[in-house]
Amino acid sequence: MKNKLFEKYFVFSPYFWLVLFFFIPLAIIFKISISVSEWGMPPYQDIFLFEDGFKINTTFENYVYIFSDYYYIGSFVNSLILALISTFFCLLIGFPLAFYIATSNTRLRNILLVLVVIPFWSSFLLRVYAWKIILQNNGILNVILLNLGITSEPLQLLYNQYAVIMGIVYTYLPLMILPLYGYLNKFDLNLIEASKDLGLNRFKTFFKVILPLSVPGIVAGSLLVFIPVVGEFIIPEMLGGSDRLYYGKILWEEFFVNRNWPGASALAFSGIIILVLPIVIFQILYSRWSQKNEI
Amino acid sequence: MDNNFLVIENISKSFGDNKVLENINLNISKSEFFGLLGSSGSGKTTLLRILGGFEKPDTGRVILDGMDITNLEPFDRPLNYMFQSYALFPHLNVFNNLAFGIKENFTKKEIEINVRSIADLLSIEHLLNRRIKQLSGGEQQRVALGRCLIKKPKLLLLDEPLAALDKKLRSKTQLELTTLQKKLKITFVFVTHDQEEAMSLSDRMAIMKNGLILECSSPEEIYENPKSLYTANFIGIANIIEIYKKDENYYSDDLGINFKLNKELKNTKTNILLRPEKIKIQSINNLKISSFNSFSGEILEKSYLGSFTRYEIKIKNMIISVLDQNFNSNSNYNFPKGEKVICSWESESIKILED
Repeated sequence: MKNKLFEKYFVFSPYFWLVLFFFIPLAIIFKISISVSEWGMPPYQDIFLFEDGFKINTTFENYVYIFSDYYYIGSFVNSLILALISTFFCLLIGFPLAFYIATSNTRLRNILLVLVVIPFWSSFLLRVYAWKIILQNNGILNVILLNLGITSEPLQLLYNQYAVIMGIVYTYLPLMILPLYGYLNKFDLNLIEASKDLGLNRFKTFFKVILPLSVPGIVAGSLLVFIPVVGEFIIPEMLGGSDRLYYGKILWEEFFVNRNWPGASALAFSGIIILVLPIVIFQILYSRWSQKNEI
Repeated sequence: MDNNFLVIENISKSFGDNKVLENINLNISKSEFFGLLGSSGSGKTTLLRILGGFEKPDTGRVILDGMDITNLEPFDRPLNYMFQSYALFPHLNVFNNLAFGIKENFTKKEIEINVRSIADLLSIEHLLNRRIKQLSGGEQQRVALGRCLIKKPKLLLLDEPLAALDKKLRSKTQLELTTLQKKLKITFVFVTHDQEEAMSLSDRMAIMKNGLILECSSPEEIYENPKSLYTANFIGIANIIEIYKKDENYYSDDLGINFKLNKELKNTKTNILLRPEKIKIQSINNLKISSFNSFSGEILEKSYLGSFTRYEIKIKNMIISVLDQNFNSNSNYNFPKGEKVICSWESESIKILED
């Protein structure tokens, strides 16, 4: 009897955690997002009112509000573009690295894997701050460039979207490398040799053999980078300028500066739905495709 | 016959401090089925990979059909390599696996014709739309072979071509492979650790050990007249007996009997080889023991193998293996364990191992 209970716990625990840490918070956010805002603490009204009998007190005005203002939609689009570009660069840098790690000998492989993971041992905030120090006008990079005579005056490297992309690619690169490595580790190197033997040079072998067989790893790594980057707040805040607004930033402002909890919740909830729905659909289609192709 | 179709010249290769190949020289003829036989670590696979272009030799040259291919990339060599694991592309079906190497240079229609004809040759036409995972080991082997042959290579390299197949399929495939090779007249060089496989497939074979070629000859020659003790032991069952000169004859302390040889020995002491099927086994009361080239012993073990019975016969300090063919009439395959028997052989059957 006790054993059965134990087994059941293991079978259902993922669902339990999913409900506890994803669906319940999501439901709370949804509840706030359809509440009427007011001045006070908390800054919204209850959705069930019991004065003068029972009354449901909800509104969709928050959604109408955010979807009718380009300020919100535009920043979300900015974040999507940022996430796309960052994922692309993570893939561009991460794929060769992951492939190199996966194909090197055990000793070198372990050293390289530790090097990939080492940044996680220091604070994320500190690492982003370090980039700020490196890139600022009298920072190391500018000092070097000036002394080498490459530029005559300090370059404005900080507070623009390029600094943001660089910071994000730097921070999220391990999240791309690790799942890619996990997949490429199982790659049969004979397939590459077979392809070359059959007359395909390195370039063609990459596109005909290595790339198609790496799709699952690429998908896993890209999703792992893309999704959190859309909501990224700290890196644009610290390295970015005022030229571009991002979703994470306006969410923060709506919540903490404007104290518009219902508006912020509506923004967060819409963001999750817009991101999660296509990804779920994509995953279903993709798993069907990969089953059919036996990758 | 053109003996210089494939010339392997002074090839040496080391991985770090580990010398894998030492000064390998081989000449292989056009349309020859050539085997490289050796235990693991003998360097045979490294040699094959050097021919394939996957490893670069430290010294030496490889010349194929008059062209020095030592420094060519695998994709520039007019040869193909069949991998032990077959290395078929899991993301492509059988048709596209077969077409993989010719997609570049052929039109769609030519590809179709070529794939069909190679599939017909290997009887895998019904598999063209299958995925690789849906194939049995034997079918995968054919696809791997077809994928190479479709390119019409001058030389086909095969790494343990039959190792992944089960025993019954192996002997069938062995026969098909030799027939196919004779029909296509493509030069085959293959690697194996299985001596039976090497003997049945090869026109000529080389025995490799610790990065050296010990012997290179036809399977018959290597079996019947091995030059070294190692080869004698490695190929088939071998009775190795140490003999030395005593008076006019040669004597073995282990067996306690005299040997009569056809020729004089250079050394006073040497090893001789006596293959187990060369020894005649008879009931003790049929015959009186002659003083040369025969002994009486006791049957220690016997294993019935169908067409043969293998006996282990103890005499003095040694155990001698004897293979006795099971004739159907008047059969003598039922010598029981513990029976005393007489073994004898012709002087010509004794092979002297002088090394």
